Amino acid sequence: MQNPILYTLHHNSFWVSPERCLFWEEENTLIVADLHLGKSGHFRKAGIAVPQGIYKADLQRLMAQLYLFKVDRLIIVGDLTHSTENKELDLFIRWRKDFSLLHIDLVTGNHDILQDSWYEEADIKRLEWKLVIPPFIFLHDLKSKKKLAVNEMDLYAFTGHLHPGISIKGSGKQSLRFPCFYFAKEYCVLPAFSRFTGTYIVDPEKDDTVFAIVEDRLVKL
Amino acid sequence: MQLLEGTQGFNIIKQWLLQKNREPFTFQSGTWQHIINGESGLVNAPTGCGKTFSVFLGALIDFINKHPDDYQIQKKIGLKLLWITPLRALAKDIGRAMEEVIGELGMGWKIGIRNGDTDIAERNRQKKQMPEVLIITPESLHLLLAQKGHAEFFRSLHLIAVDEWHELLGTKRGVQVELAISRIVGLTPQPPLLAERGSCISESRMYPMVWGISATIGNLEEATSVLIAPLSARRGVGGEASQIVKADMNKQIEVESILPDEIEKYPWAGHLGIKLAYKLIPIILESKTTLIFINTRGMSETWYQTLLNVCPELAGSIALHHGSIDMELRTWIEENLHKGTLKAVVCTSSLDLGVDFRPVETVIQVGSPKGVARFLQRAGRSGHSHDAISKIWFLPTHSLELVEAAALKNAMAQDVVESRQPMMLCYDVLLQYLNTLAISDGFVPESTYDEIVSTHCYKDLSQEEWRMILYFITQGGQALQQYDEFRKIEIEDGIYRITSRKVAMRHRMHIGTIVSDTMMKVKFMTGGYIGVIEEYFISRLEPGDVFTLAGRHLEFVMIKDMTALVRKSNAKKSIVPSWQGGRMPLSANLGKMLRATLDSVSQSAVGSRQSTVSIVTPSVAEGRQSAPDSYRDGSQQIIGSSPLTIHHSPLTKHPELEILRPLFDLQEELSHVPKENELLIEQIETKDGFHLFVYPFEGRLVHEAMAAILAFRISRIHPITFSFAMNDYGFELLSDQPIPVDDTNVYELFTPDDLLNDIQRSVNSTEMARRKFRDIAVIGGLIFQGFPGEQKKARHLQASASLLFNVFSEYDPHNVLLRQAYQEVLDQQMEEVRLRDMLNRIQHSNIVIRFPQQLTPFCFPIKVDSMREDLSSEKLEDRVRKMQKQLVE
Repeated sequence: MQNPILYTLHHNSFWVSPERCLFWEEENTLIVADLHLGKSGHFRKAGIAVPQGIYKADLQRLMAQLYLFKVDRLIIVGDLTHSTENKELDLFIRWRKDFSLLHIDLVTGNHDILQDSWYEEADIKRLEWKLVIPPFIFLHDLKSKKKLAVNEMDLYAFTGHLHPGISIKGSGKQSLRFPCFYFAKEYCVLPAFSRFTGTYIVDPEKDDTVFAIVEDRLVKL
Repeated sequence: MQLLEGTQGFNIIKQWLLQKNREPFTFQSGTWQHIINGESGLVNAPTGCGKTFSVFLGALIDFINKHPDDYQIQKKIGLKLLWITPLRALAKDIGRAMEEVIGELGMGWKIGIRNGDTDIAERNRQKKQMPEVLIITPESLHLLLAQKGHAEFFRSLHLIAVDEWHELLGTKRGVQVELAISRIVGLTPQPPLLAERGSCISESRMYPMVWGISATIGNLEEATSVLIAPLSARRGVGGEASQIVKADMNKQIEVESILPDEIEKYPWAGHLGIKLAYKLIPIILESKTTLIFINTRGMSETWYQTLLNVCPELAGSIALHHGSIDMELRTWIEENLHKGTLKAVVCTSSLDLGVDFRPVETVIQVGSPKGVARFLQRAGRSGHSHDAISKIWFLPTHSLELVEAAALKNAMAQDVVESRQPMMLCYDVLLQYLNTLAISDGFVPESTYDEIVSTHCYKDLSQEEWRMILYFITQGGQALQQYDEFRKIEIEDGIYRITSRKVAMRHRMHIGTIVSDTMMKVKFMTGGYIGVIEEYFISRLEPGDVFTLAGRHLEFVMIKDMTALVRKSNAKKSIVPSWQGGRMPLSANLGKMLRATLDSVSQSAVGSRQSTVSIVTPSVAEGRQSAPDSYRDGSQQIIGSSPLTIHHSPLTKHPELEILRPLFDLQEELSHVPKENELLIEQIETKDGFHLFVYPFEGRLVHEAMAAILAFRISRIHPITFSFAMNDYGFELLSDQPIPVDDTNVYELFTPDDLLNDIQRSVNSTEMARRKFRDIAVIGGLIFQGFPGEQKKARHLQASASLLFNVFSEYDPHNVLLRQAYQEVLDQQMEEVRLRDMLNRIQHSNIVIRFPQQLTPFCFPIKVDSMREDLSSEKLEDRVRKMQKQLVE
């Protein structure tokens, strides 16, 4: 595993991890997007035999990152779970109890449709659509930036939702796509944490910074 | 055995034919005899000469013979004849023809049709009372098997007919037919049951007969045994042999090539055809109706436009027919073909199948048909009375294709036709089928296993694989025990069933094996549906771009609700969509005939040799083959003494080869025209770098794989990187350093030893498998496409095939569907068997390595194709002209 890469924003240090998350050093916080917990279970319940190993692996990766950075807080910028409740989520609840000291904030995403009671049981603080920690703001969908009040407009936004990916032209006619971190001047789009997700190909501007996740390495473009 | 003549059924049918001034053909009465004997088999007859009647009337004769006194009043007696056809469009015509016979014989049988177009009311009527004859597609038949109590439908079934079996064989739809037959045969009541009902028919007679109807293919015997495999398995070895009845129609086919006035010595694919378009006009005007077959949908759009430009008078009487055009419009075209109101139709393989269009007098094939069988089938579209000559014109898209025309003629003279290889062990179709059984009455693994291995496709299915498949459909593969709620097939009292109505409904929506690309509808802003187009093509368009579909210039406006909205455009230029797929490789047979045809050219023209010649003889001593004598002309003289003189012999009897003489002379002068037992390799240095051209004539897929393998093998000798290009005749390796291939290592480089390993190391089979996985995942039920009009509700169940491929590769690498994807890459993408055959052939031939000083006529088209990828078509044309000029000077 490659070491995280430092990315500085507004004098804050963000460590970009090839495990698809950001470590915010000053706040001792891990930022992730789009975990889509229970997605494989949702498929399986419908008779589509997706191997469940992928879910377990996602949880283990998250755990490893929490241990690695020894964080106090986890901010999820939306889509913690994939769909309606299913048994796979029980594994998450059990796992959550082992991290009882961890504070979890969830900026509600379009997939976060579970009952309030579930979030209570999971000890997750659910925020309706934004979390403000100046000079930063956390949103699920970049589009909701438009709804912000004037005084919040200048905050740097961390978002998810998009599952950004980048297409790299290889030799011949082949082009390969990789999930990526996408840092623009006023916002950042995080890659989906779950590996059971597709990608949406982004088209970066000249001054944007993109970290492609190739296997388990980061490639800065 | 009862003799056909003298039976009441035969007399009645013969009388009926006589009233129409017809007499049974020998192949028809031959088939009838087998049917009244209770035998199964296959009728081999071309379209439009009474093949339907061979089996249908046979079933009637048999019925009349069994019910001599009351055959006319018998009705509502349940399904007697199941007629499986691959094409929905055919059902109506066949049904009409059958109804006519039934009516005129005064019988009470009903003819029913069941396919995607059949409405629910009709289906329900059929469920209550099956018609005596049911015309059905493979998909609808599986839907019938998905119904509870389906055994009842087939209780009285006497004969299963499979129409156009040559089209189904070798496809997954064909596998569906195999499975359906195995099920129906398996449902046949056991003898004691019948005995109780007082029947005394011998055991072998209780299974329904199975009859295939097929055009000519190279492996008719195999085609027959695949079809009746479930019967053979039940009856055991030594059961009745299958019967093959061939219609000896001896249809005369005449091939005429449209020759360019001047032969370009440096041919290239893509522009010659269009330049010759004006030569088609008199042909079109002179005949009643002409079909013009084009190989790709994209080119058919271009041709349609070109013909209208060359001859504007054709407007209104010429139409375009391909798979992306609105169904309604296609039906309209087909109806007008019947009526004879259309002068010409530009079409793709979309008109290969199906009913006969009587008014069609002339057929034109543009570009290589890639195979003999396909060419024959298309030729047969003209000249309908069985003694008429079918005429087909061949229009080359580059001059070397004229050799193919000559090769096709040779192939026809020698009756060389391609085989269709049946598919083996399609796990995806099997998974789908098991789910189908599970939503009907459920299944018991033991007896179902016996039924499944009675088919040809699954005869090698091991118990181990069977257990894996059962595990997959009941447990869902790898799971986290207490955190899992996998629910598909459940086991109750040993019976495997799907009990969830939702899952069952979802499965019913997905029965079928035809997976299309994600298509987008194309509509005018003002409404009006034009056709469909691949989503990926639309996604690359900007609003304002103009493209061509269904022969119209359309300006792209926007995408709304999965529909591309367009408006008419008067723009002169437009983008012609390139539809994916459809690029068939040259068949093995045609490749072989090409090599033989070139042999005759090579034998007849021998020029001087350059000094940089090396002929390599194989190091293997035994088994070397020389060209068969039949391709050699005894009268020729081979003299190579005087420089640059070329001796012509009368051997090249085909005008196509005669006109190509200057090209062959140049090829021989610069390099060599390979004989049948030779493999030509050219090494050429140009400013682009060092080229290695190899000409196996084995089709582009084999060449693609071979290029990668050869590059890998060379790079083991010496580190070197290459780029590849290929066409149906040969391939190119290009490098910036000299390529170390010479007579010391060339046989080793083309060895079949260690082939599988080298394939795995050289070809990106993962990427190829990923592409194959898409269809497999859809057929195997991993991809849920949503209910029509309800896409949004199923959003949480969407995952792309590519993503699933990654997930399975990582977390369930032994999954059967994944394995199948890799196997399909080997079988279909790499044509591994053919690759191996080729390498074996090369080991026993002379490898001729030449070092021409400049590009040769043979390598030129490959070179142009390699430039095609980075250049627009106009720039390409300019570049090619320049190159041609330089080379000729």
